[in-house]
Amino acid sequence: MSISNPSRQINQSRPVNLSRRGFLKSSGVATGGLILGVTVPQHLMAEVIHGADSNFNPNAFIHIAENGDTLIYCGRCEMGQGISTALPAAVADELEADWSRVEVRQADGNEDLYGPQATGGSASIRRMYIPMREAGAAAKLMLIAAAAKVWNTSADNCIADNHFVINTSNQQKLPYGELASIAATMEVPEKPALKEKSEYKYIGKDLARHNLNDILQGTLTYGVDTKMSGLKYAAITHCPVLGGKLKSVGNKAAALKVQGVIEVIEIPRFDVPFGSIGGVAVVADNTWTAQQALKLLEIEWDSGKNGSYDTQSYKAQLVKNVESPAELGEERGNVQRAFDSAEHIVKATYTGGHISHSPMEPNASVVWVQDDSCEVWAATQSPADIQKVLAQYLKREAKDILVHVTMAGGAFGRKFKCDYVHEAAVISQKINAPVQLTWSREEDMRTGYYHSISAQHIQASLDKNGNVSAWLHRAAFPPISSLFNSAVDRAGKGELSEILNHPFGIENVRSESGEAIAHTRIGWYRAVYAIFYGFAFGTFADELALKANKDTVSMLNNIYDNNQDVKKAEQVKRSKRALALAAEKSNWAGRGDLPKNQGLGLAVHYSFQSYVAMAVRVEVNGDDIKVLEVDAIVDCGQVLNTDSAKAQMEGAVVMGMGLALRTEIVFREGAVVNSNFHNYPVIRIDEMPKVNVHFIQAGEEPTGLGEPGLGPFAPALSNAIFAASGKRYRDLPFKPQAV
Amino acid sequence: MSQSIVINQKEYPIDVPDDMPLLWFLRDKLELTGTKFGCGMGLCGACTIHVDGQATRSCVLPVSSVAGKSITTIEGLSEEGSHPLQQAWLEHKVPQCGYCQAGQIMNAASFLATNKSPSGDEIDNAMQGNICRCGTYQRIKAAITDAAEVMYKEVK
Repeated sequence: MSISNPSRQINQSRPVNLSRRGFLKSSGVATGGLILGVTVPQHLMAEVIHGADSNFNPNAFIHIAENGDTLIYCGRCEMGQGISTALPAAVADELEADWSRVEVRQADGNEDLYGPQATGGSASIRRMYIPMREAGAAAKLMLIAAAAKVWNTSADNCIADNHFVINTSNQQKLPYGELASIAATMEVPEKPALKEKSEYKYIGKDLARHNLNDILQGTLTYGVDTKMSGLKYAAITHCPVLGGKLKSVGNKAAALKVQGVIEVIEIPRFDVPFGSIGGVAVVADNTWTAQQALKLLEIEWDSGKNGSYDTQSYKAQLVKNVESPAELGEERGNVQRAFDSAEHIVKATYTGGHISHSPMEPNASVVWVQDDSCEVWAATQSPADIQKVLAQYLKREAKDILVHVTMAGGAFGRKFKCDYVHEAAVISQKINAPVQLTWSREEDMRTGYYHSISAQHIQASLDKNGNVSAWLHRAAFPPISSLFNSAVDRAGKGELSEILNHPFGIENVRSESGEAIAHTRIGWYRAVYAIFYGFAFGTFADELALKANKDTVSMLNNIYDNNQDVKKAEQVKRSKRALALAAEKSNWAGRGDLPKNQGLGLAVHYSFQSYVAMAVRVEVNGDDIKVLEVDAIVDCGQVLNTDSAKAQMEGAVVMGMGLALRTEIVFREGAVVNSNFHNYPVIRIDEMPKVNVHFIQAGEEPTGLGEPGLGPFAPALSNAIFAASGKRYRDLPFKPQAV
Repeated sequence: MSQSIVINQKEYPIDVPDDMPLLWFLRDKLELTGTKFGCGMGLCGACTIHVDGQATRSCVLPVSSVAGKSITTIEGLSEEGSHPLQQAWLEHKVPQCGYCQAGQIMNAASFLATNKSPSGDEIDNAMQGNICRCGTYQRIKAAITDAAEVMYKEVK
């Protein structure tokens, strides 16, 4: 995902007064009080992950009731990353609200009202920080103006503090609630001034998640938890091979005979992005009965053209494709000329496997299709895509699909794609009732959207002084664009752009793309291509250091210092700063004193406009690799919530360990072999290392942190293992578990 | 004759097929959705509840096999989240998505009922059946250690 820096444009957003726009009637929100939205310019709205179109429309939403109760809606989807606390807290900060009086609500799917809601690309904070704060600041000024009117004084004599406006000339106070309906009649300030950093009350602090108590008492509603009168329950099994077709469904009578079973429904493949790949569902009066009856069916599939997909041989082919000349991506300078005069040429090939998101909550939603309405309750990362897909399927307008966004029990990119919601809609329409479809863990693991399998081959030349003079980087991986265009046979220029745009900025650099036709659905997985690019860049830098007879930190600094591109100066500065702090915090200089079987490895990676350096300390005993401690250095500019930012790094380490050490989705004869957590062995508590998180807060604009922690982890681990044992791991996962 | 089961101190008739796992009886029949479905094979711990105080995976536990027993779910663990583990989870801000946390807390509660001063290794051993994909393990460990101290400080 290449995303332009929106921070400049964001400042052109403008709060608007929804109380005065007839909004109350149309939204069904109780009248009285102040309701404020904010506009975002069109070019910014268009900056969503796969290019949905949008217009100038409000996107933040504050409602202050006459009793002072304050609702702040979060338009971005919450899946555990903490956005529904971080952004509303930034609003509350500018609003000078009392956080204990604020209730956060997850907004329904409505991009006209809330702006872009597709939640991915670590973009929520980067894009919404300024507009949301401006909404808060505008509301505060309107409350102040209301108080000034009541007191017949100048607004200059009034300040806002903790849900009150105070008259500084006589210390009179008026609570926000009493001012709300007057404030609603005020003009919206064009360009409200924002607070200085020193004045922040909630931004940059460690506020607890707004829904923490509900989580701990088991009362928070996730996608699987929606209940309603007349609800039916469905289970599904899919064609195990992408593009295959249903041949026959046998033993239907037996399934239908099971007490509680309502119907067996064939779901044809719906050939739009994020539509169902095709399956057979059973509907019953509870999930378990549906699952049991589904097992009674004897289903035969035609595998189709992907029926021979085998990841072991495919990966071997990808390696061949990158170890020989491939299609040119881009070239800067002249790589061949530099190679011709090189002192050394260092070569290495790196691979990675498919991985499955496997969030703890499997795909689930409730859909109720009626003749004149369609209502959805779903854990999703993109309500607008649900609207789009269901509108296409039902042949209705997208705006007529009402999507309630629930908490997602993890998502990691999986719940961006709404095939599971589409399937529930098919079933609901067929049986004319609200339906909850819950995928089994096996279906989630076997028929998902997978992180690309990949191979990369790098050749770099070193001059006499150990400077990197040229860098040839071939990559072969089935790209995400294959989801939208089946003719795609390799990664395109955009998907290779991280190579030439890398902050290393090697003077002579060339990217090439090897053939890699997709045989399964490829999808965004937390950190996306930064997983394998980060791994290749970070590990290869360590290998170069060895060859150049330098330590890794010196080598990296040398590479960054040789970057003469002024446009990259900030990236160089911030990468080096993160690296230096990683070296300091991990006692890189003292690594020689570690026990013989321990090693320290470092890597730094820039992705999604944030910088993360990691130092990993491991202990290696024979085949046994134990990650002992990780120092994560984070530069995401201003941190909105230090606690959830730390949590993102802890999570990146755990997920990074899984994909680096052993989890891989394996295909044989076109189908996934893994099925559940016994043969997709994710990291458990007994392997948890100590994770220390350090922030660099040097005043830059805030950027996101959901993904950037993944990129540097695997290379830092590979480098640490090499330091401990002399064994170099170049293939993710290092120690795949046999399935 | 119909059997019954006590869940969070309330008695319910078992009016579903004998082999229905307790998980689905709780979730789809009683609409007690705090107990989560994660894997269906007893591999991830998201569905952990107590049977007579003992942590048990409800996704592989036929409801008929616990007829007459006393079941506790996350909804019945304490009044308004007052259990020392819930308080420690609050203190350490353990959850990210939170989906696995009911199972984590129920498992930890059963564990702490028998181990009053657990070592790090003992916590690992007791909790390694509960998966968290968000990666909250460091905090879970710290929270359990703290909760044990709160629960048993008079004893020491």
